[in-house]
Amino acid sequence: MRITDLLKKEGIGIGAAPASKAEAIDLLISLHEKCGNLKDRAAYREGILKREAMGTTAIGMEIAIPHAKSEAVKAPALTAITVPSGVDYDSPDGDPCKLLFMIAATTDGDVHMEVLARMMQLLMDTEFTEKLKGARTPAEFLALIDAKETEKFPEEVSAKKAAAAPAAKQGYRILAVTACPTGIAHTYMAAEALNKAGEKLGIPIKVETNGSGGAKNVLTAEEIANCDGIIIAADKSVDTARFDGKPVWSTKVADGIHKPEELINRIVNGEAPVFKADKKAEATADIGNESFGRKLYKHLMNGVSHMLPFVVAGGIFIAIAFLIDAAAGVEAAGNSAFGSVTPVAAWFKSMGGYAFNFMLPILAGFIAMSIADRPGLLVGIVGGYLAANGATFPDPGAVATTPSGFLGALLAGFLAGWLLKLFEKLCDGLPRALEGLKPVLIYPLAGLGIVAVMMCAVNPIMGIINNALSDGLLWLNQHNLGVLLGCILGAMMSIDMGGPLNKAAYVFGTGMLAAATTESYQVMASVMIGGMVPPLAIALSTIFFKNRWTADERKNGVVNIVMGLSFITEGAIPYAASYPLKVIPSCALGSAVAGGLSWLFSCTLMAPHGGIFVVPTIGKPLLYLLALAIGAVVGMLMLAILKRPNKEEK
Amino acid sequence: MVQKHFTVINAQGFHMRPATNFATAMAAHPCTVTIRFNGKEINAKSPMLIMAACIKVGSEIDVVCDGEGENDALAAAAEMIEGGFGE
Repeated sequence: MRITDLLKKEGIGIGAAPASKAEAIDLLISLHEKCGNLKDRAAYREGILKREAMGTTAIGMEIAIPHAKSEAVKAPALTAITVPSGVDYDSPDGDPCKLLFMIAATTDGDVHMEVLARMMQLLMDTEFTEKLKGARTPAEFLALIDAKETEKFPEEVSAKKAAAAPAAKQGYRILAVTACPTGIAHTYMAAEALNKAGEKLGIPIKVETNGSGGAKNVLTAEEIANCDGIIIAADKSVDTARFDGKPVWSTKVADGIHKPEELINRIVNGEAPVFKADKKAEATADIGNESFGRKLYKHLMNGVSHMLPFVVAGGIFIAIAFLIDAAAGVEAAGNSAFGSVTPVAAWFKSMGGYAFNFMLPILAGFIAMSIADRPGLLVGIVGGYLAANGATFPDPGAVATTPSGFLGALLAGFLAGWLLKLFEKLCDGLPRALEGLKPVLIYPLAGLGIVAVMMCAVNPIMGIINNALSDGLLWLNQHNLGVLLGCILGAMMSIDMGGPLNKAAYVFGTGMLAAATTESYQVMASVMIGGMVPPLAIALSTIFFKNRWTADERKNGVVNIVMGLSFITEGAIPYAASYPLKVIPSCALGSAVAGGLSWLFSCTLMAPHGGIFVVPTIGKPLLYLLALAIGAVVGMLMLAILKRPNKEEK
Repeated sequence: MVQKHFTVINAQGFHMRPATNFATAMAAHPCTVTIRFNGKEINAKSPMLIMAACIKVGSEIDVVCDGEGENDALAAAAEMIEGGFGE
């Protein structure tokens, strides 16, 4: 509570000449009334006089501080007068008073004590009080106090300035964190949208991007402490413990892109709930009205985004192995050792395989960690590992079992995470003395027990389902329906471009890679081509159907060629977001055609990512490129039909 | 030197009136009177210094008297603080 927060210019009377103590008091009360600090002047005056009757409030040094705590006060406030010729105020030292402050305090709280203490600390300096007595205008009086307060309590001034001058670089009123599962496009688009909206509203925002390259523009503890609130626009878990006690509005990354102003206003209007890190579970449930499905998606994406590097690097290593063997002239067809025949290929294949081995443990581990925090990591990783090796009760060594694989790992991540969280809740009742043991002994021990029992029970069941899925694929293939599967996967990839459907298809595709059959490689080929078509279709459209697009959209079209060829579907999002009903069906159709054709041509892909760069590893690369081109052209034509020429651009 | 530990019991702590009365009472004793509060030493004969320390209800303080008549001063201080300054 600063003096300058309580004392207004209008509440200061310079050069007053009251004839008596009573007149001085009335003068100070009138100033309070003028500032609108009082509900009832008479009642407040009574309080002041009652206090004076108990003993003078003059404190020597020609200063008096009459005060009253009263119901008649609206909000804590101060008034002041200077009396150059002095007024008799029954001072203990007998001197007349020349500097008078009057405190109006509400009946609740300690403000009155704190103001008094603070004033004393300032007024002890006689040089300062002499200057105050000689002030010529209220503004000068106030400036003197402000300067003195700044000198005495420098630390709070910087905080105040940060709050008062949001435009200043060091003081962001609103902070934001953006993140998406892949961390390539959405993260940065949301950051840009928020920054632009902030500029428009005159509220600069600092946005931390938790992208694939790690967190950039990281929020500092000081910025967090000084801000009004934090926006989290993320589809995966972000580190929130640091926001403890701050208003936090949590939502999906898409809202950051499409509704940045709405998010900013929520913070400005104080709609965001205060985040409590120690009650993380409840808080997350409360904020941003997250639906169950959304939470599910967020946990899944936390797993997928951490798993991706393993899949990409391992997959490309394995693809290189195949490439080397192919170049060495090793017969591929029907050769199960293909890819590890030449020593160099064998090395690449093994190393890639080691990275692949971490795929399921990492997936399950980070899903469980997203649900149950740190204790979840152990249960998830072990669960994922058990899903990969297929241990059961009769066969704990996993010698001859059917691993539950990718589906089992998903189950391990979610179920183990939730069970552990439930267990943590049950442990709340334990004596406090055991608190320290919980994270180091109790949770890990119980977690391992829970996940081991669960996975040994689940493995046989999931194995059956997994096999059925593969059988289904096989069946589709045998009945020449694989093309249909290719179409479906392709379309799924482009319908939401990085959203849940896209990820579901992608996770399915990468999961199938582990099966290492021709069908599974065909699945991956259809999935990737489906993801490559949308940016390409749009890029082609901006080139061949210029009148459909604005100048900006045409300029960005070129970038989309690179995006598409690199299998970064997210490049299409700005267009899809602007014209969803036109762009999405067109892209989905193009992707479906490409996915189906890829299957029809029996194209195979062993690498889970890489776009044009892994084409050499693709089975039937030329046909694959043909399928891609056809898909992109179909998408472009469809777009030309759906999207009318821009009137302004004609 | 004598000293005694107190917990401030009156609802408003050492606000202006108690601070003034306390300082006036202490000033009548020839010994030095110091309040130790929150790691600080406060001259208990100055109402301003006492008020500046912002000693609220429930605060733990030590009153230290040193010199001539120190026992009388401490007894007087105890009577005022423990009596809640008559509030």
